[in-house]
Amino acid sequence: MAARTLTILVLMLCGWCLCYPAHGQVKISGYITGKQQAAIPGTSVVLQGTAQGATTDSTGHFRFTTLQKGRQVLSISSIGYKTTEKPVVLVNDSITVNVTLHKDHKTLGEVVISAGAFEASDKAKGASLTPIDAVTVAGNGGDLANALRSLPGAQQVGEREGLFVRGGTGEETKQFVDGTWLKNPNFSSVPGVIQPARINPFLFKGILFSTGGYSAQYGQAMSSALILESIDLPDESSASLHIFPVNVGAGLQQLAKNKKSSYGINVDYGHLSLYNDIVPQRPDYFLGPEYGRGQANYRVKTGKTGMLKIYAAATFSNIGLRQPDIDSSHLKNSFRLRNRNLYANVSYRSMLGEDWQLRLASAYSYNQDDISLDLLNSGNEPLQLPGEVFDGKQRHTRTQTNFAQGRMVLSRLFPRNQALHLGAEHFYTADRYRSHDSLYPLTNQLTAAFAEGDIYLAAGLMVRAGLRFEHSSLLGRSTIAPRASLAYRFRDGGQLNLAYGMFYQQPENEYLFRQRDMDFSRADHYIVNYTKKAGNRLLRLEAYYKKYHRLPKYYPAISNAGSGDARGVELFWRDKKSIPQLDYWVTYTYLHTQRDYGNYPYALQPSFSTPHTVSLVVKRFFQDINLNLNMAYTFATGRPYYDIRLAGGDGKPQVHDQGTTRSYHNVNLSGAYLFSLFKKWKHKDFSGIGFGVNNIFGTRQVYGYRYSHDGLHKAAMLPPATRSYYIGIFMSFGTDRTEDFLNDNL
Amino acid sequence: MLFTALLFMILAVQAQDTQLENAVALLDKAQTVKDYQDLSARFTQAGNAQQTNWLPYYYAALCNAKIGFLLQDDGERIEPFSNEGESNAKQARELLRAGGNKKDLAELYTVMSMIYRTRVFINPMTYGRKYGPTSQQYLDKALELDPDNPRALYVQAWVKYYTPKMWGGDKDKAKTLLESALQKLAAQKAGGVEPHWGKTESEALLAKTGSKQ
Repeated sequence: MAARTLTILVLMLCGWCLCYPAHGQVKISGYITGKQQAAIPGTSVVLQGTAQGATTDSTGHFRFTTLQKGRQVLSISSIGYKTTEKPVVLVNDSITVNVTLHKDHKTLGEVVISAGAFEASDKAKGASLTPIDAVTVAGNGGDLANALRSLPGAQQVGEREGLFVRGGTGEETKQFVDGTWLKNPNFSSVPGVIQPARINPFLFKGILFSTGGYSAQYGQAMSSALILESIDLPDESSASLHIFPVNVGAGLQQLAKNKKSSYGINVDYGHLSLYNDIVPQRPDYFLGPEYGRGQANYRVKTGKTGMLKIYAAATFSNIGLRQPDIDSSHLKNSFRLRNRNLYANVSYRSMLGEDWQLRLASAYSYNQDDISLDLLNSGNEPLQLPGEVFDGKQRHTRTQTNFAQGRMVLSRLFPRNQALHLGAEHFYTADRYRSHDSLYPLTNQLTAAFAEGDIYLAAGLMVRAGLRFEHSSLLGRSTIAPRASLAYRFRDGGQLNLAYGMFYQQPENEYLFRQRDMDFSRADHYIVNYTKKAGNRLLRLEAYYKKYHRLPKYYPAISNAGSGDARGVELFWRDKKSIPQLDYWVTYTYLHTQRDYGNYPYALQPSFSTPHTVSLVVKRFFQDINLNLNMAYTFATGRPYYDIRLAGGDGKPQVHDQGTTRSYHNVNLSGAYLFSLFKKWKHKDFSGIGFGVNNIFGTRQVYGYRYSHDGLHKAAMLPPATRSYYIGIFMSFGTDRTEDFLNDNL
Repeated sequence: MLFTALLFMILAVQAQDTQLENAVALLDKAQTVKDYQDLSARFTQAGNAQQTNWLPYYYAALCNAKIGFLLQDDGERIEPFSNEGESNAKQARELLRAGGNKKDLAELYTVMSMIYRTRVFINPMTYGRKYGPTSQQYLDKALELDPDNPRALYVQAWVKYYTPKMWGGDKDKAKTLLESALQKLAAQKAGGVEPHWGKTESEALLAKTGSKQ
């Protein structure tokens, strides 16, 4: 037996070495190219099972010699391309092998649908935005939407919260958390004073700010969608604390030992009276402003791929302020708001087998605003005055909104980032608006279904096509909205994007309370975009045209007789490389828009829009002194303002006066000095002193003008104070969340 | 006949060794991304051919780590090299598991630490939190296994030099570490296939600590 084995072994070895020296070496040469016949240097070409091979030179050529004979396989591999195997038969002195490699889209330069969108993800590479980049923009007050105003497409509207995108009103931007609509992202509005966000911006690992042409998975936003994805489990347990003169808070985040679940609680409370005593405010506050917030979350991994997340927040604000009345110098207007809000969101996602993914989400929110408007005499005593002029200035209203949403999306995933999404959602909204003794109830059931596919057409070419159906029980109408987006990636890494879509939205309640027989408004978007990212720099150019149909109007009767359009060009440039340790971005927004809506008599440039906006955001960390500085400068040309009143008999609105405000300049600076107080502790702390000044140079900023009833007087709408400041301390134990704290309190 | 066969087998193995030695000699002179890319391909080939020696994979991983360091300011391009380097390193560890000694393992962990460091470069703000600690863990392991490893000392110096003070950076400490790394390097053989890199790197960084930017 052993002898036989040995014989076979010897024979095999003989056969092997017989051919070895017999015919000398075989030369293998050739060149390796990509799709368009461009050489791929640095490609490894190797004879499988041997150490023999070569690497291509700068012209894509290679050459090596081997002693191997017969049927062999050449393995050709290069980073960014799929490894290719090429069978060869080695007989003669030399052979030539030319091979074309195909790009491997998994490893390098995937084409990504991106027209109209700014994505800030925790997976962002190079100069792409991360959620932290977005929320560290100086002077945003911990409000994500506010921070995103430093991106092109958004207008600088200092007197109101929200995003005014591409000629759209603030109501035309909607925020979504894990697929569900976040109905009241900010504390309820106070005239002329921007209100803070309800939700902590650090809950999110992914932020997609679409300024148009967004996916069919979302609806009811004619201009823009802010799509937020909440974080899964935290990396570690942690505890935190912050003390600012205007706000104090504490939090705890506990990760289970098995790292399968976590829970967290955060509370914070703010009262601005002390601050307002030190920094005089234009409005005369007699209540608060005070804000309270409690948040809780629970997250658990279920099974291999499942993730269940529950988030709940209860918030309140109390604000009362007095301002001089525009119609009479002896009078004052008093505004008092009590806001109560409850929000809960439950989401679940899991893979169903290899290729299917299920996402479920539901949200509930309750919001109550009690608003009292009163007339006061110069001694701040309330008084009752008759007459049309004062009618709207003496009013007690209560608005209660119950909102619930359920959503399901089933996705089939395919290779190369392809996917088919099928989904349905239902929104229930019940509004109860009480003014004096009248009750205006409004209940709506909105049902939506959508289908969308991300399809890989050819190398570097991807298309997304979708359809969205919606039916509103209140309007008794249905819509079908097609959406499409296309992306083509050039060989140099640049990408060309196109998008088109129809976006429907219900008229706001202010119309519907008085007129039910209305239709959806619609905006059509056409977008072309070029983006290039390389070397920690990012360039993005976008041009668009947007057409509004059936905008709501008050006159002659409440109807959908309005219309409008917007066109513009936007530029975004970010550079993290040119100046060491300095990160900056520059944006330019050009907007030309006109709309005939609301009380406008005909198409006008809306008062929240301006043709030119430029912003510069700079961030730098001074390592040696542990100091972090952020600066943001914004310039915007003036905004138009109008005195629109009903003309005598026929009740037609007329523009009695109009003008343009002075241009807007704003420089915000914020920073933090970081340190550690308890270095010896097992979980050492990450602490810091955060500080900031908004409008450092004290430039006069005018948002618009209000007119008296007779149009004889006009008063400028100004910020509550010329400058605003903050300073405070924050501490975190466990995980290093200094960055987060910093930003949360800016 | 049998003798001839055996002779050729020995020759073939020797050829592989020479090839590795040649590649390592080239690595000592490599400077550009392209140099390292070529070498990474060569080392991977050598590793695939031998299937038993951890060194070719170790060097392939090192090449990819080096590329990551060279591309430090180009976050968009780093990831494929980090991925490739990670898989090289894992292959090397598989081979080391069988008969690896502490010193070899320390060499490999040092390179793994560098690979995870390259992940941080993709976008320090977000990847730093996750991969910074992973990178440090491998470096700590390496220094635990072989506290005198000059390459581990060099990487530790690099970290100390570039980390902000707040997070434990210390330029003076970096200097001490580099001096000790160079001392240890001087005592080692500067050629052959065993890991011996680190002199140029340490000297370059030492020059920076001296100039006190």
